[in-house]
Amino acid sequence: MSVELRVTDLVTGYGKQEIVHGVSMSARSEEVTCVFGPNGSGKSTVIKAIAGLLPAWSGQLHLGDTELTGLAVHEVVRQGIVMMPQGGGVFPRFTVMENLRMGGYSLRDTAWVEERIETLIDDYPSLQRRRHVAAGSLSGGEQMMVAIARALVPEPAFVLLDEPSAGLSPALVGETMTRVKGLRERGIGVVMIEQNIREALPVADRLYILAGGYRKFAGTSADIQDDRHLMSLYMGGD
Amino acid sequence: MDVLLQALLNGILIGGILICLTVGFQLTFGVLHVIDFAVGGWVMLGGYAAYWASRLLGVDPFISVFFVFVLFAGVGCALGPLIYHVRTSRYARPDLMALAFTFGIFIMMRGGALWLWSFDSRSVDSVLSGASLSIGPVTVPLLRLSAFGMALLLGLGLFVLLYRTRFGMAVRAVAQNRDHAGLMGVDVKRVSAYVYGIYTGITASAGVLLATIYSVNPEVGVRYTLFAFFVAVLAGLGSVGGVLVAGLVLGLVESLVGTYVGTRYSLLVVFATLYLVLLISPKGILQRGI
Repeated sequence: MSVELRVTDLVTGYGKQEIVHGVSMSARSEEVTCVFGPNGSGKSTVIKAIAGLLPAWSGQLHLGDTELTGLAVHEVVRQGIVMMPQGGGVFPRFTVMENLRMGGYSLRDTAWVEERIETLIDDYPSLQRRRHVAAGSLSGGEQMMVAIARALVPEPAFVLLDEPSAGLSPALVGETMTRVKGLRERGIGVVMIEQNIREALPVADRLYILAGGYRKFAGTSADIQDDRHLMSLYMGGD
Repeated sequence: MDVLLQALLNGILIGGILICLTVGFQLTFGVLHVIDFAVGGWVMLGGYAAYWASRLLGVDPFISVFFVFVLFAGVGCALGPLIYHVRTSRYARPDLMALAFTFGIFIMMRGGALWLWSFDSRSVDSVLSGASLSIGPVTVPLLRLSAFGMALLLGLGLFVLLYRTRFGMAVRAVAQNRDHAGLMGVDVKRVSAYVYGIYTGITASAGVLLATIYSVNPEVGVRYTLFAFFVAVLAGLGSVGGVLVAGLVLGLVESLVGTYVGTRYSLLVVFATLYLVLLISPKGILQRGI
């Protein structure tokens, strides 16, 4: 069953600084929704607001019929929305296994979490071998794999990814995008922020472009005519 | 040889008390990123709680210490959200604001104690007061031995709590990154409040022991705040494990210098040790601080 994650007229920012001036967007499960935009366009701010890291100043957030507006960050996780911050956000002093267990923290049933981790880790042979290594000593790519696996532990409805390709080598960017496609096949909805448009565009089902805190474009990758069209949208043209 | 043994033993026993005094303070710094100036104030209030329990109800401090722990842990849990609120304020320099806030709490505690109980030093009697064990050539004061046992118990208890429970995992996650812990579903505000409660409970319990060994008056807080700062710096700010080592090292230094050089030099050497640690290894002797 497809679920919709809906953002309506969101206004938010940091401190007293308004960054996002009324953005609406929607994402569905079993789809990859990409949000592009230059630095400072407010794309990270939008998904931080969805995850509850920032309060919505006005506007609403919904997951299906459930209202998310005003929920604290740990309550949003319990609704089935997991955010992966930039760089993966693994806990450097925790081992790979401890990181994965943190992924299941929102669930009471620890036996189920252990079982779930065992099934997940089979898909990640490099992590399998390094279960008891501190996550901080892993490479950037391996940390990203830990972060993605960890996000899957609670069987979320939606995963929010903040620039998963940032700081990775070109080969690893490819692997990360393959993993993102894999999430869609599992029936999870993905909302992904990316700077690396060339790699992300082929994965995207839906596309939003933000500039200066406003939505400049909404559509599918088929709606983008060519590179020049994309560039002009990106730079804030019409 | 006998003198050396006695000095080493005294040092270890003093170290135990220093550990009691600092371990909660250190945990609070690691999790809430608050340097709690009021640490000595909790010690002082814990001491007075033991005094009144003994005076009015006739309860021995080694029994009342458990009630003091529960009482002050409750107070700390209630105060925790306020400290968290100040520390995570969106306005300028919340780190300094939190320091000023705890300094204010400290001043109120000291002023309140002076107003209520005057400047007189009060001593708390226990059945163990004055009793001592003789093992071969060395004498072991029972009070200090019990305080040391308490420190071991606290250390072990904290270790089990932090490394063997779900709550402990959440605490360690918050200590590493508050936002990322929240994204995993940890209620950071509640965990922080509980950590502050554990800290105030432990520290007030240390105050019970200190009041029983020495005595308590409204001015003792400043001294214990300084001692907690010293041990924390030596341990590496935020490192709970480091406190166990740093407390013992500082205790041994103080006792050995007191025995072989002279008591009046012991504080000087303690300061010099700190100066050297800050100069050579500013992350603490185990290199594990911030």
